[in-house]
Amino acid sequence: MSMDWVVLIPLLPALAFTVLAPLSRAARARLVPVAVAAVLGSLGLSIAAFLAVWPGGHDAVWQGSFTIAHIGDRAIPLGLALEPMSAIMLLVVTVVGACVQVYSLGYMHREDRIGWYYAVLSLFTAAMLALVLSDNFLGLFMAWEVMGLCSYLLIGFWHEQEAPRLASIKAFLTTKVGDLGFMLALAVVYAEVGAFDFATVLHHDWAAGTATLVALLMLFGAMGKSAQFPLHVWLPDAMAGPTPASALIHAATMVAAGVFLVVRAFPIFEVSGIALTITLWVGLLTALLAGLLATVQHDIKKVLAYSTISQLGFMFIALGAGGSTAALYHLVTHAYFKSLLFLGAGVIIHAAHTQDMREMGGLAKKLPVTSLAFASGSLALAGIVPFSGFWSKDEILTVLLHEHQYAAFAIALLAAFITAFYVARLWFRVFTAPTQQKELHEGHRSMLAPMVALAVITAVIGFFGPTLGDFLGHEIPWPALGTAAISTVAALGGIALGWYVYGRRTSVVNTQAIKQRFPHAYGVLANKYYFDLTYGYFVVGGYTALTRALATFDARVVDGVVNGAAAAWRSLSAAGWTFDGRVVDGAVNGAASAVKAAGDKVRTLQTGSVRGYQTLVAGAVVLLVIWILVKGA
Amino acid sequence: MSTTLPAVAFYLLAFAALYGAISMMSTRNVVHATVWLLEVMLATAGLYLVLDAEFLALVQVLVYAGAVAVLTLFTVMLTLRRREDAVRPFPTAWGSLAIAALFTGAMLLAIRGFCPVGVEMPAIVPGIEAFGRELFTTWMVPFEVASLVLLVALVGAVWWTGGDDR
Amino acid sequence: MTVGLPHVLTLAALLFGIGLYGALSRKNAVHVMMSLELMANAVNLNLVGFSRFVTPEAMTGQFFAVFSMIVSAAEIGLGLALVIAIYRRKRSVELDAVQELKG
Repeated sequence: MSMDWVVLIPLLPALAFTVLAPLSRAARARLVPVAVAAVLGSLGLSIAAFLAVWPGGHDAVWQGSFTIAHIGDRAIPLGLALEPMSAIMLLVVTVVGACVQVYSLGYMHREDRIGWYYAVLSLFTAAMLALVLSDNFLGLFMAWEVMGLCSYLLIGFWHEQEAPRLASIKAFLTTKVGDLGFMLALAVVYAEVGAFDFATVLHHDWAAGTATLVALLMLFGAMGKSAQFPLHVWLPDAMAGPTPASALIHAATMVAAGVFLVVRAFPIFEVSGIALTITLWVGLLTALLAGLLATVQHDIKKVLAYSTISQLGFMFIALGAGGSTAALYHLVTHAYFKSLLFLGAGVIIHAAHTQDMREMGGLAKKLPVTSLAFASGSLALAGIVPFSGFWSKDEILTVLLHEHQYAAFAIALLAAFITAFYVARLWFRVFTAPTQQKELHEGHRSMLAPMVALAVITAVIGFFGPTLGDFLGHEIPWPALGTAAISTVAALGGIALGWYVYGRRTSVVNTQAIKQRFPHAYGVLANKYYFDLTYGYFVVGGYTALTRALATFDARVVDGVVNGAAAAWRSLSAAGWTFDGRVVDGAVNGAASAVKAAGDKVRTLQTGSVRGYQTLVAGAVVLLVIWILVKGA
Repeated sequence: MSTTLPAVAFYLLAFAALYGAISMMSTRNVVHATVWLLEVMLATAGLYLVLDAEFLALVQVLVYAGAVAVLTLFTVMLTLRRREDAVRPFPTAWGSLAIAALFTGAMLLAIRGFCPVGVEMPAIVPGIEAFGRELFTTWMVPFEVASLVLLVALVGAVWWTGGDDR
Repeated sequence: MTVGLPHVLTLAALLFGIGLYGALSRKNAVHVMMSLELMANAVNLNLVGFSRFVTPEAMTGQFFAVFSMIVSAAEIGLGLALVIAIYRRKRSVELDAVQELKG
């Protein structure tokens, strides 16, 4: 049986976009079901594709390509390939995409521009699907760029307001900085290999130096897309976009693209040891620092945003330690539970009409379904058995131990502890703390259904780890009891601390006390390690400092010279006065009137006369024809 | 059919076209000029027939002689306030004449220089049927795009001339 | 007496030249449009001539002429609409009345 229907998986949402985009606002809003139907169709086809690939292994079961261009005698093909890794990613993207689209029906139904929102959401899903299916780096890059555009459009969806507009520009520019690295990497790859498809590029006989260059450039691109330190600054701001869009972009798919790229290019990273080490430390730094930042945020979406950065850091840790399968595993589980958390946050924001956790509290009673689903996601994020995050995080820790990266292991464990702590902080503040609001409504059914689906997946997917490993042709063992125990202790410790600080009945909103007790640490965290300030300082501040230094120099040295010269000049000028009046003035005035006369002459060329212009054009054409004749003869 | 008959027809029609074009330039009355243009168009349609382009001849009559001439006449009438305004005196524009003459001269030189003289009119000519088949197979997409161009032009024209004073 | 490609091209060149003179010298916008049509007509004649003598079977030139006709039909429609629009503003169809671009 021909498998060409695989093409439809990215094509359906893309078609939905082309149907919706050119229409008027009202017509788009009416055709929103088209977008939802398209993504559901993609979901069905992705399940079919998954079954077709089953039971997995290494090889692609389907491949199709066409040539987009010829450069000299080299053809540039663009192709799609269905193999185990892309099959799994297809499922992740379409499940999350479908959940988000169904959820948005409820979440965005009062929005005027819901049609445009759905159009961009569809295009975004299409791009991500094309990215995971692509069998070459060029196609991957194209889809990658389309996603950059879509995320810009979605973050800036409420572009009437200042913050989303600035956030969208910031996200676009920051990821663009990373994209530059990716683009350079592609140039090096093409110069070295002369092709873009994975099979040729990855089996190329790489020299260590070139491999390091390519790997580091690609890592830079991935850092931009996956919001790793120091290119993470865009993601927290990107929370200005609609919450379901955050679930799709900033939890499940777009930020996953960076990790996915590194997984794809992993053989190149393996050739270059340095690149792996750098990846590992970027991941560690990110996981730890972003985790710490998440502990001081009051905006519920920002907590989740920093948590996303931190979890992406975990994936980079796995990659750096050589466990690309573990990274992919965590990518999959994280996509499900993080989008679940974002969707839950959306319901909470809708119910509480605020994003500030200090104004929430006691939502567990009012929002029973949401709180249960949220609990599933939170436990997964904290890494409590048997929720999905536990298994994949444990897998990463196992890889670290196996590679004897003990320092990294310790830091990762600390990050896991912090993760559990901020999860507990979020949970107790939002759901159990004293109620502060009376009017609270559970979300609409179309919003709850996707969350329940995601919650169930989050709860059970962990048991399929080894199956997933077989499917990918790698091994994902059950966690060893020792590591499992250590990580569980860390997670439980974090939760316990969170409970101690935020969960006890006696504790009130005690941020102030913490702030007073640890003023410096709190200040550093509250200012996000001064990253935004630093960028501002070096770009803006550096310039200011330079100008100030120049001003000083100006005042001391230049002014002195000038003043001295001025005094000398003053005496001279008295003598020169007469000369001035006669000769110089005459010359200056003469020059001025000459310029004026010339200007008057030139001005008449611009007559505004249509006939004058066409005569000019025709005359020029005649001259051209005659010239061609003379040359030709 | 002898070769003489088409040749005679060609020269007659060529003369008619040139005569019409020159008359169009020398008349001072815009309405007369429009009628002369119509004559040139019809002569060209005859030339197309001589050159075995039946379809084009038909289109020429329909589009130029029919639509364009009528459109022009309407415009002339709409923009004339008095009957006398139709007559526009004009001096001979020597500059324009020089440019046009230079251009034509260059073109004639080019034709003499580059065009193969001895090429006889090839005998085989596919008919209007083959033309239609080609038009709706090979040239299908451009043809549809062209129809879109016309539609857009139509809408644009209506919008520009639309009722309220923009 | 025969007809060759040079004859057709010569006729077309003469018609084009006359049209060019009219387009350059006339002040009446309608007149200019008509001259432009004359030029387009000459071009079409060229295309048909080439088609007849060089590619009689493919008829490429004829198809080009069809599209050229379509485009010039669109052009004259828009052009005359423009003339009427100008007439409404200026109460005149003289090209010299339109000098907004004057520097």
